[in-house]
Amino acid sequence: MLEVEGFTKYYGDLCAVDDLSFRIEEGEFVTLLGPSGCGKSTTLHAIAGLVEPTEGRIRLRGDNVTDLPPEKRNIGMAFQSTALFPHMTVRENIAYGLKMHGYSKADIEDRVEESLTLVDMPEHGEHKPGELSGGQQQRVSLARALAYEPDILLLDEPLTGLDRVLQEEMRSWLRRIQLEIGVTTLYVTHDQEDALSMSDKVVVLRNGRAEQIGSPESIYESPESPFVAEFVGKSTQFTGEVDETDGKAVVYNDTKTIALPDGAPSPGTDVTVYVRPEDIKVSTEPVGSTNEFPGTVLNISNLGNRAEMAIELANGTTALAHTGRFPDFGVGDDVCLRFDANRVIVL
Amino acid sequence: MSATTQRLEGLTFQGIVALMFAFLLLPVVIVVLTSFTTQTFPAIPQEGFSLEWYRQLLQDEKLLGALTVSLIVATGSAILSAIVGTIAAVGFVRSTFPYKQQISTVMLLPMIISPVITGIALVRYFSTIQLSSGYPALILGHTVLSLPYVFLLVRSELLTFNEDLERASRVLGADPATTFRLVTGPIISPAILAGGFIAFVVSFGEFTATQFLISPDTSTVPVVIYTMLRTGLTPTINALSVVLIIVMVVVALSSRRLAS
Amino acid sequence: MSVERLTLGRVTHIVGERLQGRVSNRHLALLGVSFVGFFLILPIIFLIPESLNLGSSTPFESYRRAMDGIYIDAFVRSFIFGLATTAVTLALAYLLAYYLTFAAKRVRIAMTLIIVPLWIAYIIRYFGILLFLSPAGPFASFTGIGPGLLFTSPAVIIGLANVYLPFAVLPLYNSLNTINKELIDASRVLGANKWWTIVKVIFPLSLPGLVAAGLIVFILAAGSFLGPAVLGGPRQSMIANVIANAFLENFNIQFASALAIIYTVLLVGFLIAFNTVFDLQEVLEDI
Repeated sequence: MLEVEGFTKYYGDLCAVDDLSFRIEEGEFVTLLGPSGCGKSTTLHAIAGLVEPTEGRIRLRGDNVTDLPPEKRNIGMAFQSTALFPHMTVRENIAYGLKMHGYSKADIEDRVEESLTLVDMPEHGEHKPGELSGGQQQRVSLARALAYEPDILLLDEPLTGLDRVLQEEMRSWLRRIQLEIGVTTLYVTHDQEDALSMSDKVVVLRNGRAEQIGSPESIYESPESPFVAEFVGKSTQFTGEVDETDGKAVVYNDTKTIALPDGAPSPGTDVTVYVRPEDIKVSTEPVGSTNEFPGTVLNISNLGNRAEMAIELANGTTALAHTGRFPDFGVGDDVCLRFDANRVIVL
Repeated sequence: MSATTQRLEGLTFQGIVALMFAFLLLPVVIVVLTSFTTQTFPAIPQEGFSLEWYRQLLQDEKLLGALTVSLIVATGSAILSAIVGTIAAVGFVRSTFPYKQQISTVMLLPMIISPVITGIALVRYFSTIQLSSGYPALILGHTVLSLPYVFLLVRSELLTFNEDLERASRVLGADPATTFRLVTGPIISPAILAGGFIAFVVSFGEFTATQFLISPDTSTVPVVIYTMLRTGLTPTINALSVVLIIVMVVVALSSRRLAS
Repeated sequence: MSVERLTLGRVTHIVGERLQGRVSNRHLALLGVSFVGFFLILPIIFLIPESLNLGSSTPFESYRRAMDGIYIDAFVRSFIFGLATTAVTLALAYLLAYYLTFAAKRVRIAMTLIIVPLWIAYIIRYFGILLFLSPAGPFASFTGIGPGLLFTSPAVIIGLANVYLPFAVLPLYNSLNTINKELIDASRVLGANKWWTIVKVIFPLSLPGLVAAGLIVFILAAGSFLGPAVLGGPRQSMIANVIANAFLENFNIQFASALAIIYTVLLVGFLIAFNTVFDLQEVLEDI
């Protein structure tokens, strides 16, 4: 459906995007994930036709649209600031795109009603954007983008600025609508929760380049670079060298070792080992398994449905562990943590 | 829309815009150019450039006198206008009272009412209160006329002023007057000075109300220019105008430097 | 310099101490308003008794005279010229403001070019236009139209438009510049080409600036003295000229005052009428 081939964008001497290539299949929900300045917005705007590539090609449904102006590309876009026309009512906002795409008057009326129903806002047609709440504005913005059944839907960080609860609601709502309609969607965000919860595929961007492309699971479970491992999800990190003797452990802090899964790098390699918080179990007494380390509780944050504990280990590393809510430990307690060798990420 | 049509559209647009800039700036350019003419009529110098008219200007006592008057009046009204305008701006920005917005429009009245009305009203008023025409009338009249400009400039600066600075000053031990002297004043003074300079420029070029306020021996440059226009066009008018232009542009540019 | 500052500092300190607690910011505002009150509003009000032929059997003599055809003509002409100038100026100003907002590569320089004419006295600018249109001027040589254009109504309107153009560009530019750029992107993505975007999104959102600019230009143009005086003939006389004439040439203070009062009343009436449609306060914010 969408192919980005070798997209490069320079602003003067500044390289915003460097030779980015990826594909989106029909009906897929793909997220461009990365920190600010990584080039994700630039890429989105280039696909929309609002930014001209310095090099590279953009193909929609097989056609090369690189030189086509935005109004001819038949795409839908929801902007960060919603960009709803303040001087038009909700209905007029939605009708705008339909009119520009040549729908007849009768069809426009029908489609506007359908769109309003789709986003659960049937009574708000005559309101002006200024009279709506943030969440409502986002929904109208989406209705407007989808009204004329575009080939692809582009979303530019639409959930930024919404409060947490609303954000989570909107995420699942957005994904539901997308699956219902089946529209190919490209979503841009710096929020990894957005990316992981909604996407079929994630493109992790950094400094204008793709660090990794894969499903949310593979990004999270099998990050291919330290950047991805650290940007997506939290983790505890150990640096050291792969043991010369059997290649199945990492030596850190002279004596302590961490058992590694199969397929670890060759002995002598410097590596960083990552462990996800949910893979760390905490207990008061040692249990006797591999990868067990003593530590002292530094801090406990109750996150509502679970607790996050920061535990200081002997070598100074701070480990992060997730436990059930209201654990039995207190700050300053001596505890033991352990994790399964197979759950460890080695990079 | 193909790339070439886009190009063409862009160029036509740029062409039209260039024409408009030319339209805007042409009158001044012509005045300056024709001041160098060799003919006795202000025409674009074809044969050569001459400074004859500037020479004549420097020898004409009446014209030099008018220049002096204009300078004095402009300076006087600029100072007065800066003081009153700043006081008013501070007063309006820092206080609240009913209908404040509407009442602040009063400060802009001199810009809204035709200067002819202002001139006539003032000349009658001044004679009633026994204020002599000439310098006093001119300075007061020009102060009123340039007040709105100072008011708007200082007001705009005050609106973006961070009042936390004053609060910090007070907490650190300074009383309101000292705070104004050491904190607020210095920070807004560029705007006040800029306002004063603009007031100077406004006064220097003012004609319509001024024609009522002058006395036979205190005439200003714009009035002299107008009288000369009435009697016959000679390039001496241009020379005088160019002097006016130079003064005003220099002052305005300095004002800009200060404001930024 | 430091000596001056010392004395200034002490003076403000002493003055400040005396005033503290007694003079509030409201007083300061009052001072400003009083200044304008004493030196503008009061003088204008004083014109009212001037305009009346008190103590005679015909106190409203001047007003009756002002209703004469010639003077009504002048009022009507001022209104029409004001409208015509506003129309022309707004059209030109919109193009310039649009250029500044969306197409200008070096906005500061372009902006300075527009503001520079404001620093130059009206009389000089009118003088320049006079020279331009004069028989020996470039216009005549280029177009061969000769002196026909000078001292005609079009000449006055062109002159007024030229002089007040910067006043119109500034509020328009402000208005256009504050339009959220994403609205324009949205319009393009929704399928509208550049022209549709201008008509349906940019223009409607620039209306506040347009209204402000129109108001300023209309008021300035309708009350202009120099424009018709320098570039027009007797048939282009506007109110300002008529009033000035009555005063300076005929020494008829009474009549001039009457005309001045009528003008002021009409102006205030116009502003009130304008306020009912457009809310003056918001417009003033945009200046």
